[in-house]
Formats: sequence, structure tokens, C-alpha cells
Amino acid sequence: MPIYDISYTSLIFCFFLLIIPIFISRKIRLELEKSTLEAVFRMSIQLFFAGLFLNFIFNLNNGLLNLAWVGLMIFFASYTAIKSADLNVKKLFLPIIISIAFSNLVILLYVNKFVINLENLLDARYLIPIAGMLLGNALRGNVVGIGDFYNDIKRNENRYLYSLSIGAGRYEAVIPYLRKSLRAAIKPTLANIYSIGIVSLPGMMTGQILGGASPLIAIKYQITIMVAIYVSTLLSTTLSILTSFGTAFDDYGLVNKELYEKSS
Amino acid sequence: MSVEPLNNELINNELIKYESIGISFGNRKVLSGFNLTVKKNQKILLRGKSGVGKTTLLKMLLGFTKPSEGTLYFRNRVIDSKTCWEARKEIAYVVQDTDLGEGKVKNLLGEIFSYRANKEKLDSEKLWTFMRELELEDNILEKNFQELSGGEKQRVGILIALLLNRNIYLLDEATSALDAKLKKKVADYFLAREDWTLLIVSHDKEWERDWMRIIDLETQSW
Repeated sequence: MPIYDISYTSLIFCFFLLIIPIFISRKIRLELEKSTLEAVFRMSIQLFFAGLFLNFIFNLNNGLLNLAWVGLMIFFASYTAIKSADLNVKKLFLPIIISIAFSNLVILLYVNKFVINLENLLDARYLIPIAGMLLGNALRGNVVGIGDFYNDIKRNENRYLYSLSIGAGRYEAVIPYLRKSLRAAIKPTLANIYSIGIVSLPGMMTGQILGGASPLIAIKYQITIMVAIYVSTLLSTTLSILTSFGTAFDDYGLVNKELYEKSS
Repeated sequence: MSVEPLNNELINNELIKYESIGISFGNRKVLSGFNLTVKKNQKILLRGKSGVGKTTLLKMLLGFTKPSEGTLYFRNRVIDSKTCWEARKEIAYVVQDTDLGEGKVKNLLGEIFSYRANKEKLDSEKLWTFMRELELEDNILEKNFQELSGGEKQRVGILIALLLNRNIYLLDEATSALDAKLKKKVADYFLAREDWTLLIVSHDKEWERDWMRIIDLETQSW
């Protein structure tokens, strides 16, 4: 099966489609003309450079460089995770980056070794895209999990203090919040697993099929990826919350007030 | 040599000691130079209009807030990040608006009595007795805590404190949502227990007794 390349000139036909949203935006005064063009322009530039860079990395296929690239992805994933959760980045950065890095690397290498049976565990063509998929999901889980956990304690401060007052230990007092936030963090992934294949063809499968792979191979990869995503999301979110205790709580068992201040 | 045991006993009788305590909310100073010694089995009522720091004085004992000045002792030890955990295991704290969280009352009670500090304290016979005393209906255990009325929540708070079987009680407007008859019943029950030490914050006159020490934070009469 041939893979049809999209030429740069034919991309112009793709951009022609944007006339539709711009027309709608004009007519209904959505005032989205500028942001539409800006967003698409930014995406194109970003992806263009990502393409160049990934092409370079894939051609070189140096294990350490691939790993370093994944490290960089983890760094940015963790940074965004805390930033969008409105919690103090400085205080939580270390526990989160360690948790995400640990969980994702362990699952990633396990999958490469035992499921895909790769000879080179650090092969860029597998390592980087799979890492990206795991990270994207772990990231979302961590944002929801950590954010829910600390905001729930803050919102229900009296409830939390009451449990301490009746003799709850540090861990016993936070368990209800941990349970609730982990459930919230993992629910979308679980729902996604339920509906996959019926409601939507996932991006990776689509990509593989467009790339010429048999759907029968594509589904096996998809099953692997979904399980890996589920495990790494739950593992990294649990570890993130647990390892954040050391810096987030004081010796009295109370959440450090600075945690809720938005860092500038 | 012979004086020592007596001295020890005297000191051990001192459960709680507030020493020149000051409280500030933000930049606003609401209380300063507060002194109070609570001896074992004493019943003390704290009064004063809201915002004067009554609740804060109680919370300090559990390490939920720190005094802006002065020192607080529990059993002759300064309340700090270590001793507050001990205090939390010895003191029963009843608040105005008890909040146990979401779920069935039964399960929430189960969670509380699964804490290491409270294991083996849930005595079902006692549970039913106290529930009857507090006029809580049997089916309350099956109800969702968040669906209870204010008065019912408050009584569940009292119920938990009683089940925890502790000897020191901080009662912060613990009967505010109850009817007069029940207020009296609860106050009578607590005040009659000679071996209990009570630190009471309440606007309910049912808690007042001629023989008890009453401290008015507004007039600074301590």
C-alpha cells in the first residue's frame, strides 16, 4: 500500500477550508477570525519545527538522545501540570516531575521490552511517540488529581480539621480526599477505554492505518497503549499526590498556605 | 524529697494552660494577654461576642492555629507540631457545624473508628444508648450525612465525641441548633460527669451553672 505524501502546495488546499470558519465568524460576529488564523499559523510553525527536529532525532536514533528528548517532554509535562492546577509550582515541582518520570519510564520500557519486544528499547520511532501518548494522559490525570486533592481539602477545611481533631493520623485524614481525587483523575481514561473502537477510532490507530499498517496490527498496539495509559496515569497521579505530602503539609498536618498562592 | 510527689500531683492536675496568649486576625488584634489554667475535672465557660477569639482559643489546643503571642501548654508541654497530635487523641472537639463529609452516616462513623487511635472504641450497645439519649432515630445511620438537618448533624457530632470516650471536651456552640429541652439534657449530661474536663463556648444559658467558672473575653475578666 502506498503512503500518499501531502505536498506543501496541496497543504494550501487544506488551509482553503479555513474560509468556512472565517465566513461563519464574520456573519455571526464570533470575532474569532484573528485567533483562528493565529492558532493555525502557530500550529503550523510549531509542527514544522517539531517535524524537522523529530526527523533529525529519528535519523540519528541515538538512545541517549532519545531518552534526553523524553526527559524534556516530561519536564514540560510536569511544569504544565502544576501551572494549570493553580498550585504553587516551586513547592510541588520536584515530587511531580519525579513521579511522572518514574511511572512513565517504567511503563514505557516495560511495554517496549515485553509487549512490543523491541531489540533497541530506546528506538526513537517507538520511544518518543509512545512516551508522548503516555505523558499527555498522565499530565491530564495529574492536573485533575493534584488540583482536586488540594482544592478539596481547602474547600472543606472544617471537615478536614475535624477529622484530625478526632484522632486521624496524617494519612488517615487525607485518605478520603486521595480516594476522591484519584477517582476523578482516572475516570475519563476509564470511560475512554470503554468506548474505544465503537465511538471513535483513536488517533494512533488512525495514524498507523493511514501509514499503511493492517488494522489487525493497529488494534494490538491500541490495546497495549490504552492499558499503558491507564496504568501510568493512575500510578503517576497516585505517586504525585503521595510524594507531594512532604512539602505540601506542615508538621501539624495542615496544608502550607503558600501552596494556594498563585506563583508569579 | 517528701514534697516531690505532692508537687507532681499538683502539676499533673494542670491540663491546659494559656499563658499571655494573643490572637490576631490579619493585622487586627482581637485578644492579648489571655491567661487561663484549666485543671483536671474543671468546667469552664468562655463567653463574649463573636470575633473575640473564642473558637480560636479552642483550635489552638489542637494545633490548628498558632497564637500570635504567648505560650499554650497541654499537660505541661508546649503545644507544638509533635504534642498537638497527642492532644488530638485525648481531646474530644465538638463543633457547631459538624461536617463528616459525603456518604452514609454509618460508613462515615465506620471510617472514624477505623483510625488507629480509635480502633475498638465503637461499642454498638453504647451507640444505641447514646442515640436514644440524643433522640436520634434508628434509621439515621442509613441516611446520607449531607441530607441531615443542622440539629441532627450537631447531635451526630456529640454522639461521636461520646463514643470516643475521652475525658477532655472542647464544646464550641455544641448545642446551638438543638431545641431547649435537648440543650438542657446534653448540658446536664456533660456537666454531671465529674471526671470530665470541659472547656465550653456557648451562648446557650443551659450551660451556665452558679458553681462554674465563667470567663468573659470582652470584659477581659480572667
